[in-house]
Formats: sequence, C-alpha cells, structure tokens
Amino acid sequence: MLKEDFTIQSNLRRMLVRTSINYSKMDFGTVKGVVYIRGIFQLSYISPNADEDELKDLTVKTLHAFEKKVRNIPGVSDVMFQLLNWRKERGHWVPIEVRKKEEKDEKDENKTASGL
Amino acid sequence: MLLEIEEEVRVHPRYADLQHLLGLVLMGLGEMEKAESHFLEALRLNPSYREAMINLGFLNAEMGRWEKAEEIFLTDAKRHPRDGFPRHVLGILYLRAGRLKEGAARIYQAIQRQSYYRDYYRKKGVWQGGEVHLDQNAEKALGKIHFSDPYAQFHNFIGLHLAKKGRFAQAVRELKTAAVLKPDDFVFHANLGAVYYYQGAYQKAIHQFQRALKIDPSYGMGYANLSYVYALMCRPREAFRYMKKAVQINPRYADLHYNLALLYSDRKRYKEGAAELKNALRINPNYLFARINLGVLYEDQNRWKEATREYRKVLLVTPNDEHVRKRLERISSTGKR
Repeated sequence: MLKEDFTIQSNLRRMLVRTSINYSKMDFGTVKGVVYIRGIFQLSYISPNADEDELKDLTVKTLHAFEKKVRNIPGVSDVMFQLLNWRKERGHWVPIEVRKKEEKDEKDENKTASGL
Repeated sequence: MLLEIEEEVRVHPRYADLQHLLGLVLMGLGEMEKAESHFLEALRLNPSYREAMINLGFLNAEMGRWEKAEEIFLTDAKRHPRDGFPRHVLGILYLRAGRLKEGAARIYQAIQRQSYYRDYYRKKGVWQGGEVHLDQNAEKALGKIHFSDPYAQFHNFIGLHLAKKGRFAQAVRELKTAAVLKPDDFVFHANLGAVYYYQGAYQKAIHQFQRALKIDPSYGMGYANLSYVYALMCRPREAFRYMKKAVQINPRYADLHYNLALLYSDRKRYKEGAAELKNALRINPNYLFARINLGVLYEDQNRWKEATREYRKVLLVTPNDEHVRKRLERISSTGKR
C-alpha cells in the first residue's frame, strides 16, 4: 500500500502543511511514484525586515529541504519540479524572474557596448 | 498575530474579508469599539456580507446595545425568511431583555423553520408538547448560548493560524474551544480533524471528520479528508469508499476525480481510472498530471496510440519532462505505435 500513488499524494498533502511553504499557488500529482509539483513557490511567512538576498537564501534552503522531504516519502522514485518562479539548474535553485532580468541586463549592456 | 493582520489590512484596506477578520480578532481581545469600526468597514465594502453583519449584531448585544442588535437581526430575518438562525438569536435577545412573549414567539418561528432548533430546544426543556415553555432555568440556560458565536470563530481563526505555523498542540486547544462554544458548527470539527490529520493523530482525525459529517452530511471535503487519512492508515478499502462518496457530493471538483482515479489505478481498475481522469480533464483541461496519468493508464492497457497522444499533449506544455519523454520514446522504439 505504501508505494501506491494515492498514499503518496496523501502523505504529500500532509507534509506540505507542515512546512513553511505557501502551497495555495501550487498543484501536485503523482504518476507511478514520480511526484510532480507545479505552480508558484512562495514561503508562507516572510519577515517584514528580510531583504531580497535573505529572502532568496531562505527560499533556496526551503526548496532544498522540501525536495529532500518529498524524496523521503515512501514510494517516491523522483520529483519533477515545474515551478513558474524557480528552476533547478545543475543542482542549484535559480529564481526565474531574476534570471530573466539578469539576461535582459546583459543584453542591455551588450547593446550599450556595441553602441559605444 | 494581531500585528500581522493589521499589516495585511494596511496593505489591502479594500478587502472586506480582512476587515471582518480584524474585527473578529479585536472583538476576541475585548477591543469592542475598534472591532466595530472594522465590521462597519467590511460592510461598507460589501453591504451584503452576512457574516460581518451577524458579528456586528453580536457585538452590539455584547455591548448592551439591544436596539441596534435587534435591528440587525430583524433585518437579517427579513432577508432570510426561511432561516431559523436570526429568529433563534432574536428569541434569546428578547429573553435577555425580559421580553418573554416576543422571545417565545421568535423561538417558535426558529423551530418551525429548522428541525435542528426543535431538537435543540427540546434538549433544553424549552420545546415541550409542541409549545415553547419558558421558565427561569430555561432563560438562564439560553442566555449564554449564542453570544459565544463570534468567540467560537475567534478561537477557530487562532487555531488555524497556529496550525499554519506548525504549532499543532496549541491549534488543537483553540479549535477544541471553538467546538465547545459552538458544538453544532461542522467547520470547527472539520478544522480540528484536519489538524489531527497533519499531526498524525489519525483516529482522532477520523472522529472529528465524522462528527462534522454528522452535522452536515453535504460536506463533501469531509469524505475526501477521511479518504486521505485512511490511505495513511493503510486501509485502502475505506479510502476508496470515502473518495467515491466525496466525488458523488462534489462532482465538479477535478482534484477529487483525480484522486479517485489514483485509487482505481492503484487497484488496477484501469478503465474506471481512465474515466475519472477524463472527468477531471473535462472540468480542467489544463490538469497536466491528470493527462500524464491518463497516458500511463492507456499504456497499462496496451493502448499505445492513445498513450502517445496524451504524452505528446503533455510535452507541448512541458517539453522538458524527461519521464514523459522516455515513456514516449519507449513506445516509439518498440514499434508499439
């Protein structure tokens, strides 16, 4: 029974509530032991005093801890994150908006450089 | 917690729900005048916000402003001619003000409208032989009852807030208080059940969900929650039975169809599983997991063409899904297409 998809779903549901994740904008599904997590990843409580870097660090730590917890659920063989605002690249979590902004900045810099 | 809600209200001053919530918390903390201003603001933003109106009525009653409270509940009774609740509250308000005849008349109206109140007043010894009987004991017993409504909501809210922060033991205490203050409200039992479920106290969770369902048998999510709990207790038969019931009650919830499909799939009842996944996709065509699961179910039935079709649709949305890609490649390479 423990390896069945529905039990994994039920475990995941229970586990999500016990984290500091705001899961209201996330969906999850299970396909033969592979857990899919989609949507927007946000923390449920953000200190009003936290700056952008602190928030980013905390979110990255939470993402790593979350992934570990999901993998520890009995029967889970893999986790597929399909998040709109975070992506895992070579083992590192990267915020998608920031990445786009950085790319845009790079492009702008290149344009300015070529203009010069 | 108060600071958090105040901050939220400051950021979203035009959210009637938040204004109402802040009013409720302030009332629970005894800050009646501040609470009143937030209930009034909630009603200004949404004049048909019944809960805010009712809590404003209770607040006025608590402050001894009988006429204002009476006016609010009379208006509510007019707006909801078939609802026993405002008549029941008016009955108690009149009893408190010593207007026994009017109190008895309103209680009678409440009983006529909802059988729940018949049982309620029978237990209190007020409803006897088809008539309302009021004596001193009954007056005393009734006096306390319904002014606890907003306080029950207050404890419920605190309980949910604590649960979100992972402080389950304290959350249970608050939710129990809410359920004691208003034992006939299924929501408090449902929330208590949910917290027990998160805590891992499965038997207690089942007990509370069942109590909630006894009060309100149409509470479909209660059956879904029972199903989740039974799954964790390795009791698939019950999990299956309750999820089926949840789907029967809430046929428009794609998520419930999806969960029922997983249960069918786990039992290797592929056709029924596929039918439920199709139901989920009919309700929400963007339900990607349902589509992947549907592909897998087709594979399980050697329906390669249909599986290929579903996987291709998935890859249009998420081209980097290596699991689906591998499944598709496997079908293609073995020439099963």
